[in-house]
Amino acid sequence: MKTFSRVLDLIIGFGLIGASGITFLYFLINERFEWIPETALELTRDQEILERPKAKKCSECHKDIFEAWKESRHSISWTSKTFIEASENRSKEKCLPCHIPQSVQGEKPEPRIDLRNEGIYCVSCHFIDKKMHGPYDLLAPPHPTFRNPDYVRSSFCGSCHQKTFKEWQATRVEDTCQDCHMPRKKGRLTQKKGLNLLHKKRWVADHRFLHGKITEKDVILEAGWEEKLFNLSLQNKTIPHFVPTADNGDPRLYLYIKFFNDKGEEVDSAKEIIAPQQETALPYNKKINFQYRLFNPVSRAVIELKYQSAWSKEKHQVFSKSLSR
Amino acid sequence: MRLFQILFIAFVFFNFAVMPTQAKDMVIKEPPKSLSKYYPPVSKQPKWIQQMHKMSGHFGGVFLNLKEKDFENVDKHADKLVEEYKKTSEMVPEWEEYFDIKAAEEFATAAKTHDIVKAGKASGGLGKTCGKCHAENEVSVWAKFHWPSFHKIKVTDPVSEKEVEFDEYMGIISSSFKGVTVNFGESQYGRAAKALKTFKSRFMELKSTCSKCHTGHDVKRFYVGKDADNAFAGLSQELNSDKPNPGKFWKNIGMLGKTGCKHCHLVHRTNSFIQEMWEQPE
Repeated sequence: MKTFSRVLDLIIGFGLIGASGITFLYFLINERFEWIPETALELTRDQEILERPKAKKCSECHKDIFEAWKESRHSISWTSKTFIEASENRSKEKCLPCHIPQSVQGEKPEPRIDLRNEGIYCVSCHFIDKKMHGPYDLLAPPHPTFRNPDYVRSSFCGSCHQKTFKEWQATRVEDTCQDCHMPRKKGRLTQKKGLNLLHKKRWVADHRFLHGKITEKDVILEAGWEEKLFNLSLQNKTIPHFVPTADNGDPRLYLYIKFFNDKGEEVDSAKEIIAPQQETALPYNKKINFQYRLFNPVSRAVIELKYQSAWSKEKHQVFSKSLSR
Repeated sequence: MRLFQILFIAFVFFNFAVMPTQAKDMVIKEPPKSLSKYYPPVSKQPKWIQQMHKMSGHFGGVFLNLKEKDFENVDKHADKLVEEYKKTSEMVPEWEEYFDIKAAEEFATAAKTHDIVKAGKASGGLGKTCGKCHAENEVSVWAKFHWPSFHKIKVTDPVSEKEVEFDEYMGIISSSFKGVTVNFGESQYGRAAKALKTFKSRFMELKSTCSKCHTGHDVKRFYVGKDADNAFAGLSQELNSDKPNPGKFWKNIGMLGKTGCKHCHLVHRTNSFIQEMWEQPE
């Protein structure tokens, strides 16, 4: 009985020491990592990461972010069929800086020579002078990590999305690009087994760079009849940049209007192309008016709005509405 | 002061020699196929013109350093010029005969005497080889490799929503234009107004087409800008009025032709004609 009690004491004792050690380590890693001497950290650095690593290398720790990025348009900015065709087999120089950026730092980047198939990848945005930069100051033994507040600012995205950035600035809306296109949720930055538990949870941005879906709540339709006229307006009510928007791509909204007579026969039709390259995209919170002259007796109009992204020929319906006279 | 004069004469001498002496009946021959590998999309960089710049840089380097009496760099540039000249002569086998290695070496030897007058004289023989090739090929190389081909551009016709070749689109837009003018000429104002909508949507599609190559908005606004917008608004106003005014109508039509069609054709058409010849099947 005595022996059992001693063993139990030992277990409890070691357990307490172990728990205290882990707690201290957790505290040290997450709250006071500056106490760790730089010389000690130098020993833990992974040289491969310090030399512009491939995204796959980053995925050894940041698996979730890598998987999200793989789903993004950024990951195929150099390899997508649409890009290859539109850039005449990647020969148009104007496309290169943003499709294979060397380093994104708030201004239009330079195109890079190496690892072009990686597109816009981890290194393009996070690697500067052999250090990883991001929204947090934290301890990551394989590489030095530095906080830069620009990572949560729209100006960072504006390095390439310059036109969209200016459109957003003009709206004076506080929500940044990242708020909508990189929504954050609590999670761990690393998934490396064991080590992940030593890092506290943080707000991690969605690296799929979500595109969002335009709905009838975003684009408001108003329409009315006059004797020989049909008036219609569209208003981008919720999206704080032009809709659609693009610096060089050609996304479009197609507005179809069909006019029917009493018998239900189509007597006339019209179409509008709402596209940034044609300077007809819908600005934020401003009504854009369209007017149609009616040449025949009309009793009903059917209005349909469809969206076509820059990288697809497919059109998705935003809404379809019927308006009687 | 005398040095400047000598230098100036040397440059003028060389420039006259290297400047292509175009004949009035110049033949624009398609450049040899082997040149394609030094230009995108086969090459990632326009290596041929970069090679021209290298030689030009070393040539200029010889004279600039002669002026500065930096003879070490004169010798370096002279050697590099011969090296690059030899390299260039091997790049396009069809053009091998334009090169005269002996003339390049003689120039380098003269440059290394560090006598600017001797170097200037010796540059003439070398410059002639450059000038001959430029006279016979420069226009065609620029036409082929420095101007993107319109024939590779596809346009989505806003009416049919089908992607068509650029040339075909020009035919389509031209027909739409006639739909406006012919109907107006026949006093069919309703038809003309409908045709104007179609023509306008096709005309405005050209903004998207411009942006396939041009990054800035100013370029496309040069072709399809405020003047075009005003002309379309004026045309629409006339065609939707009870009694359209022919004077105003034709004035606006003229404005569209002058700003949109003519501007673009003046800049792009000549080169496109040349490329068209080469792209025809044999």
